[in-house]
Amino acid sequence: MMDRVLVFLAKLKALFLRSSDDAAFKNEVEAHLEMLSERYENQGMSAAEAKQAARRQFGNVTLLTQKRKEARTTMFFSNVARDLRYGVRQLIKTPVFTLVCVLTLALGVGANTAVFSVMHAVLMKMLPVHDASRVVYVHTTSFPTGAHNTGDEATSFSYATYRELREHSGLQEVIGYIPMSSSGKAPVRVGTVPEEAAGDMVSGNYFSGLGVGVELGRGFLQKDEDGHAPVTVISEKFWASHYAHSRDVLGKTLFIKSKPFTIVGVAAKGFEGTEGRIPLDFWIPLQSDPEFNAWGSPANEGTYLTIPIFWCMRLMARIPESVTQEQALAKAQGIFQQAAYLGIAEKRAGERIPQLSFLPAKQFDGQDDSFARSLKTLMAMVGLVLLIAMCNIVMLLMARNANRQREFSIRLAIGAGRKEIARQLLTESFLLVVLGGIAAWVFALGATHALGAWARIDSNLQPDAVVLWFTFAVLLVLALVFGIAPLRAAVSSGPETALRSSATASQITTRNVRTGNIVIIMQVAMCVVLLVGAALLLGTLRNLMNIPLGQKPEGVLVFGIHPQHIQSKEESIAFFVNLQQRLRTIPGVEAISFAGNRPGSGWSNNDGGVRVDGHTPNGVEPEKANYRHNTVGSDYFRAMGVPVLQGRDFSDADSATAPQVVIVNETFAKKYLGTVNAVGHVLSNSKGFHPRLIVGVVKDHKYTGITEEARPMNWTVFMQGDRENELNVEMRVQGDPMAMLPTVRRFVQQIDPDMPLLEPMVESEVFRQSISQQIMFARLAGCFGVLAVVLIATGLYGTLSYRVSRRNAEIGVRMALGAQRRQIVWMVLRGSLLLTVAGVALGIPAAIAASKGIESSLYGVKALDIASYLLAIAGVTIVALVASGLPAGRAGSVDPSTVLRAD
Amino acid sequence: MAADKSEVLQGTLDLMILKTLHALGPLHGFGIARRIEQLSEDVLTLNEGTVYTSLLRLQQKSWIASEWGVSENNRRARFYRITKRGLKQLAIETENWERISGVIGRVLALEAKVEP
Repeated sequence: MMDRVLVFLAKLKALFLRSSDDAAFKNEVEAHLEMLSERYENQGMSAAEAKQAARRQFGNVTLLTQKRKEARTTMFFSNVARDLRYGVRQLIKTPVFTLVCVLTLALGVGANTAVFSVMHAVLMKMLPVHDASRVVYVHTTSFPTGAHNTGDEATSFSYATYRELREHSGLQEVIGYIPMSSSGKAPVRVGTVPEEAAGDMVSGNYFSGLGVGVELGRGFLQKDEDGHAPVTVISEKFWASHYAHSRDVLGKTLFIKSKPFTIVGVAAKGFEGTEGRIPLDFWIPLQSDPEFNAWGSPANEGTYLTIPIFWCMRLMARIPESVTQEQALAKAQGIFQQAAYLGIAEKRAGERIPQLSFLPAKQFDGQDDSFARSLKTLMAMVGLVLLIAMCNIVMLLMARNANRQREFSIRLAIGAGRKEIARQLLTESFLLVVLGGIAAWVFALGATHALGAWARIDSNLQPDAVVLWFTFAVLLVLALVFGIAPLRAAVSSGPETALRSSATASQITTRNVRTGNIVIIMQVAMCVVLLVGAALLLGTLRNLMNIPLGQKPEGVLVFGIHPQHIQSKEESIAFFVNLQQRLRTIPGVEAISFAGNRPGSGWSNNDGGVRVDGHTPNGVEPEKANYRHNTVGSDYFRAMGVPVLQGRDFSDADSATAPQVVIVNETFAKKYLGTVNAVGHVLSNSKGFHPRLIVGVVKDHKYTGITEEARPMNWTVFMQGDRENELNVEMRVQGDPMAMLPTVRRFVQQIDPDMPLLEPMVESEVFRQSISQQIMFARLAGCFGVLAVVLIATGLYGTLSYRVSRRNAEIGVRMALGAQRRQIVWMVLRGSLLLTVAGVALGIPAAIAASKGIESSLYGVKALDIASYLLAIAGVTIVALVASGLPAGRAGSVDPSTVLRAD
Repeated sequence: MAADKSEVLQGTLDLMILKTLHALGPLHGFGIARRIEQLSEDVLTLNEGTVYTSLLRLQQKSWIASEWGVSENNRRARFYRITKRGLKQLAIETENWERISGVIGRVLALEAKVEP
């Protein structure tokens, strides 16, 4: 063994020293010959005789040199080079075949890489932190009754709990972080232009505890948290985009919510925070000013630091080396369950105590199940596409290699070993796979980007090393399959085939036909599954798109406004009233209003407790009368295009001093008043306080998103409400709403240069985004379905054409014996129809199983939707007929006299 | 068959060269050929070129090493010498050879007694 290794190494070394060694050997041989002839001369021969004798004695120098050349170095590489050259020539000779294979591979493998890349980033990738296996996200099952939270129940903790866990839980680090607002962003200013940037307020051990390094400067220290220091660490991306990687960024000032922060560091490249789909631009230590209250919520009764029942803080932890995760959790659980009730007067009897849990520190924390499920479904679909693509290429290769049988026979006959031919074929498949792989990678880069955009994930999804390995593995498997599968067909024939090979002999064998049939049947079956899936999802999308919204969001521009330096309720009202009046003066503006929660964004206020004219609302217990609420401005329903059924819209007259008014929707009126004639009644809360006069009833319309069911809703105006930190401006304009943006920006900057327009969009786009996941899902499924159909079509066409060409002689004989053209055509068509029927029969049960799997992603379509199934079957059948029509026609037009005379 | 014959010869030649280098110290190809010629006393005729094939084989296995030097009549020549690995191999092969030739010798002796 050792000897073999040494020999191989020596040969390898010799490969790189070829010429010098050859020359040296020549010298050595010449010296030997000279010495030999000298010796013969000494024995008395003439010089010429001696030379000849020496040559005789030495043997054939040329042969020796050649043998030595072969022996001294390995022939492996030169053989491979030869195979490669030959393979390239073969591929160039059949450009259509090559192109089809490479494109098929690019689509199949590329789509897989892209979907895998997103799935990997979302479901598997760990945060780029030190020893990520010991870092966890901290989750809770709920929060205690009496506390309130920011909406995401599982990830919200109170500041008090954070302190307690940190001091007493025995965890090595407890890291807290709070988004700047519900969108994750806050107004910032680098130079003169205000803009939005995503950031978190974090604990002092954020960087050190997670083990995230810095490119420049430093991370935070405990004293930054304790002193609420006005310092900030920016992300590498923000550094690049705003400071062009300048090293003197340290010490510069970044205005966040108009407060100056000193930049003290740049986080390590690749670290984009712990907020999943939103990559962060900056981090600041936990702040204490009311302006910096958690999630940007108004600090009416204090901030997150002072209200122990405000559950708003996200937590991560580092498990100490000495204990297991379970032990650490058990210890922390006890501390947590006590700390949770800090600030709560009494624990309600029988209350379910919140449970702590740890989740692995993946890039995306607790990604919602539906998205994960969608991704897995997509992965399965794209895998099927790849399988179909692979079958196609195998069939093509088999057909091609069978066509080359004569070539192989001749090569065998003149002395090539089967091993050489096998190596040649493997090299050719390898070449194809490499070409396809490169194309696939390029395709995948683009596709990943598009997927990320559709899934509304801003953070980095680009393929990394793991994805690269995945693609490599797929390609390697493909290369082997492509090399080995068609091999038997190619080398099964002996050299004698070349001699008897002619149109009448060397027909396709039964075995080959049967293998081909099985492959086609499987392909058709997979295609049926994909088409049924696509039809169901597209049906879902159609249903979602056709849901009436009950409003006209197309011509409405929406953007958030977050005024700075507002101290009181009066100031806030005055600010927004002033803003409304200013914006009304813009030419082309038809109506302008405000909304606390942006319709279509998913946010809403969910309240309970209603009395009508002081009585129980229509038989419903007052405490249990739930409704959705939004705070809006005057002209709201006119701006949104919602029909007012009774009464009136809000108007400027509904000021703080005017009588308190409310508008309800149809469902509210019917459910709690028993009639749509609700105007004139008075609503109050369950205790009978805060009476408000119903001045209007509006038609039911969507609030949180497209899939929302009709439910009781009501609206009040901000002029008669609490202080608002931020409102969305809803602006109905003539023409393209986005074209209005520069004008609006100019108007707003006149009021406050530090105030950006937050997330400006067209309202219809906001609603569309509420189903962006379904849209993406359905579109991709549709794409995969179409792709599968195209692949099936080319595969079927290729295989049938090949078969017909192989059966030319047989067909010629049949025709010579009196077969009619249409009999021949039918013979070919029947064959492919039978295969299709078999494929469909196999595909239907598989499709039923698959549809059950995606049932939860469907909307308004049943898993066993007959129309979708019929559509899929019809699609496959039509494609099969079209794909086999051409070869069948060709078979029908075979001229027996030509065919039988050929060869 | 021709292949078998050359294989036996190959192995034998390798062994002879190893032993020669062991016994006489560093030598060039010509010297090795002379030594073998001398010892075989015309029983074994060999194309001297094959010595080089054998030398290459031995070198690839690291049983011998080579370096350039100057021959006794002032010619540049490549000198071959046996290595440590070569010595080990020589011991093994010598033992093998002796065992086999012993066996064959005994078998032949046995035949001679039975036949007459």
